[in-house]
Amino acid sequence: MGSEGFGPRIAFYIGDIPVSETVTVTWLIIFVLGLFSILATRNLKKEPRGLQIIVETLVSTVNNLTKQNMGERNLAFAPFVGTLLLFIGISNIIGLLGFRPPTGDLNTTMCLSITTFVLTQFFGVKRKGIVNYSKGFLQPMPFLLPLNIIGELANPVSLGFRLFGNIVAGIIIMSLLYGALGGFTEMLLGITVPLFQAGVPAVLHIYFDMFAGLLQSFIFTMLTMVFISGAME
Amino acid sequence: MENGNFIVNFLNWLMSFEPKAIVLAASAIGAGLAMIAGIGPGVGQGYAAGKGAEAVSRNPKASRETTITMLLGAAVAETSGILALVVALIMLFGNPLVNLEGNALVIMASALGAGLAMIAGIGPGIGQGYAAGKGTEGVGKRPKLQSQIVRTMLVGQAVAQTTGIYALVIALVLLFANPLLGL
Repeated sequence: MGSEGFGPRIAFYIGDIPVSETVTVTWLIIFVLGLFSILATRNLKKEPRGLQIIVETLVSTVNNLTKQNMGERNLAFAPFVGTLLLFIGISNIIGLLGFRPPTGDLNTTMCLSITTFVLTQFFGVKRKGIVNYSKGFLQPMPFLLPLNIIGELANPVSLGFRLFGNIVAGIIIMSLLYGALGGFTEMLLGITVPLFQAGVPAVLHIYFDMFAGLLQSFIFTMLTMVFISGAME
Repeated sequence: MENGNFIVNFLNWLMSFEPKAIVLAASAIGAGLAMIAGIGPGVGQGYAAGKGAEAVSRNPKASRETTITMLLGAAVAETSGILALVVALIMLFGNPLVNLEGNALVIMASALGAGLAMIAGIGPGIGQGYAAGKGTEGVGKRPKLQSQIVRTMLVGQAVAQTTGIYALVIALVLLFANPLLGL
């Protein structure tokens, strides 16, 4: 979408380069996640207490998820899977704090899905060898080659657009609702204090930000695992 | 062209408006047409939900696994609807056709065509929903195999999405890189 409408606003300029809200909020998320990781893993104990319990639960959940979906021998992907899950999850629910989710920008989601695509191709070639891997595109019939290639390219596109579409739809519906509620208060009560905007949108925030956001981050991560391990088999 | 047939009269009538008004009107129709794709995810997710309810009623102990599978499958089946929504929103809020130079009729038809293309989303929506339903049914029967079943379901759904992506590509080409205007 263009810069007008519901696209991310430009926060400031470095020289001639525009820095959009997406980038600044991403910096914030990187900072918060980095700080959390450092604080949570400082002086680890044999018997976990406080933050360490949370982190240990998180790590073992991600490890189990990776083991279940990619197999025991691909456990080395767990850090990537965990990072993806945390980053997309936090990005999707950061709308609750009034920031614009970075995943509501096609640049972010396509970047993530292209990462998945490159990993898929790279590990497919690495595990099977370039010849065997390329032969996979001639299955089950050689003349299906173009369809197989397009099908392979469609994966990152649908991955990126799915996340982007869900989040941006949430952003737009919420801002339309806030606008409507503001107009509603003015019309009914004749005051410019946006009374109805307090409380009423909470239910929709739970659905669009918490439920849909966390579900979509899980889907993105699941599909990433499925694609990568599928290419390696 | 005074006594032309109905179609000629209609086109003449259309051309009596300002080019911008025609393009805007066509974008409105196109945005509406795109959302027809919602039929697909609706039917598909309904099927998945039905299968989920059935599976839980047969095997209440596996209700957690069943529900997670149903949600995953249904969320993927949602994709076509979301893609249609993206195209409709582009036409409403970031319409690239408005400031385009060229034949108003071609631009108008492009807006309509982009909307029409997204109707293809009905197919993937229903198909992915069917896969989600069958996956949910399978997990209800054998909850221990959940991860394998979900994997197969997701791979199949990703392939089923392909035609929807074709439609999206055509719609975006019509909107952003229209090759017909240069002819």
